Amino acid sequence: MRAIVKNGVGVFSPQGFLDGNSSSSFLSIEDIAATASLKVDMILISLKKVVFFNKNGLDTFMKLFIKVRQENHATVGFCDYDEKKYNAIKTFYQDELNFSLFKSLELAYLFSSSFKNQNKNVLLYGEDKSQRSAMAIELHDNGHNPIIAQNAAEFKEKSSKKEAYDYIIDNTFLGQMGQKVATRVTGNAIIYSISSFLDAEIGNKFNIEYHKNSLNVGFRLFIFDAYKVISMNVHALNFFSRLASSGAEYNATICFVGMSFEKTTKSFKETLEDSGILFYEQMDDILKNKELLQELGASSAANSKTKRVINKQTVTELPRFIDATVATIEMMTNSKAIKQSAQVQNVTIVEKEGKIASSIGYYGAMDGMVILVFPKEIAKKACELLIGEKTDDMEMVLDTLAELVNIVGGKI
Amino acid sequence: MITKDRIDTYINKIPPTPKALKDTLMFLNAGELTKAAKIAQSDLALATYLKELLNKPIYGFKNEITDVSQIFGILGVSASQQTVYNYMMTLLSPAKWQLFKLNARVFHELQAKLSKRWEQILNHLDIKDKNIHSSIALLPASIIVCEALFSEKIDDVTLLKETKNIDYNTILTRLCGVGIFDICEQISIKWEMPEEISKIVQASSGVKPIEDKQLNTLGKWMHLLLFYELSQSIFIEAGLNDFVDFQVEYVNDIYEEFATLMEIA
Repeated sequence: MRAIVKNGVGVFSPQGFLDGNSSSSFLSIEDIAATASLKVDMILISLKKVVFFNKNGLDTFMKLFIKVRQENHATVGFCDYDEKKYNAIKTFYQDELNFSLFKSLELAYLFSSSFKNQNKNVLLYGEDKSQRSAMAIELHDNGHNPIIAQNAAEFKEKSSKKEAYDYIIDNTFLGQMGQKVATRVTGNAIIYSISSFLDAEIGNKFNIEYHKNSLNVGFRLFIFDAYKVISMNVHALNFFSRLASSGAEYNATICFVGMSFEKTTKSFKETLEDSGILFYEQMDDILKNKELLQELGASSAANSKTKRVINKQTVTELPRFIDATVATIEMMTNSKAIKQSAQVQNVTIVEKEGKIASSIGYYGAMDGMVILVFPKEIAKKACELLIGEKTDDMEMVLDTLAELVNIVGGKI
Repeated sequence: MITKDRIDTYINKIPPTPKALKDTLMFLNAGELTKAAKIAQSDLALATYLKELLNKPIYGFKNEITDVSQIFGILGVSASQQTVYNYMMTLLSPAKWQLFKLNARVFHELQAKLSKRWEQILNHLDIKDKNIHSSIALLPASIIVCEALFSEKIDDVTLLKETKNIDYNTILTRLCGVGIFDICEQISIKWEMPEEISKIVQASSGVKPIEDKQLNTLGKWMHLLLFYELSQSIFIEAGLNDFVDFQVEYVNDIYEEFATLMEIA
């Protein structure tokens, strides 16, 4: 069984009964290896369609968890359970609960470091005080506004006003969190939150793929939120210097905010400054200062490095792109596509009304981006198979369209 | 990907019931075991199937059983009828499985397990109707149908399933408006199986509850039983665990009873 990845979270959904015999069959050695090499922030097991499980059944997944943690520092755990299952898991693993439990997949997205919808009002409650604070900190790092209920009565009262919050969290447990560097996007800047001691491990914790992609897409301002950093050593220094110089060809700027050099050698600061990293006292010094933002390149996403010319290699591969797109749309709509003509030309979309687009980038032997522009109706039709019904919810259509281009990408 | 025409062609290709089987079923229906056995003996494939089945460990006989009339005697009327239906299902199954990692032996195993447990459930519920007994035979048809329709499009469905957690029944319903269990119903009509059989199997899909209360409850039991079996490691490895969606809410009210009966700790 393979995990289904969406928004940086990989989910397994076993069905039926999980015991020692069955759950080991869900995960072959190859499956575990494939999962561990996924570039994701979280690996979760959904218990939504499981009616029965025992400790042996869950133990099999522990192997997966350990492997995933070792290889890519992602958060691991279970999701989609009711209160009964939650209590059962807590009883099974009383003192050794080092994985996380999320009441639903949606709530898990809030804690994943690459979730795009940010600034949500989240009400949270947990019996354990340290858990409550841990969750609040994680949520805050990921760019949300957590509201903590201090006791059960307060939670009950507050949660009765459902419309006041985007999400309500209870029956959730944060085990050893993924140590990935949390990422959020504000305007045209990307903010990474780093904390405690920075050493050679930073190379593993930092999602370099994401950073590279952001550079390719055209982001030019990267801010490291370093309020909680205690100190760094020479390996981390090395890492940041290299990051700065590799970003230089994209004209990118890297800033540190709130870094105190109380316990770090002063000369490190100079070295970092030499490699082009800027230091600021507070986040607002950058984000509230429009002129500075413009200067740092956060005002426009256009980037000279990302402009590429069409070359022979791309043109020879074009038929494959076209075929893959045609095949996907045919598959999803059960209709027949007729190729009218194919030529390379400048595209100007005159009428933007009633059209939607989705894009997917690819990097490797060839770099580039495929953009599919649909009339709204065709897009809806193409997504019907994935959504299941006709819908006018544009957000949902766009979301599904992203899955669709993914399939196109898979077919190429 | 799969069109309505493709489904129609598939249904048209289902062979009619062979004469020997028809007669066997007729005599079984009349309760004449010896006459039925005589005809069954003439169909060598059926006779072998019966022998292999009865000598499986799940039946637990000490000595090998070879005689068809003896087999029918052991099984009794309703179980014999069910077994003949099971045999008919194997006629439909493909020579080489591609979508699911199954083979004739594993498929046979699934049939035997489902039958035996279904009998246990019906005993517990105190139901003696032989058509209800036979209904379990139609259930594996859903797997066969799924294999037949999707095996040509393996690449497409794997890609689709990698992107979104979506089961075969949903894919088919969304594409053609016809579900896997609807096709099972077509099969049962073509093979002139009693109406209750297809009704229960329809209900056991978990997405189409029926009005008749008793049959609906039986559908729930069958749905849960199916997933109980599909949670066995050999069927998980065959890729059957998520071929249809498990509806947890649908079976909630009978779960406790089921767990006690199957001795799930």
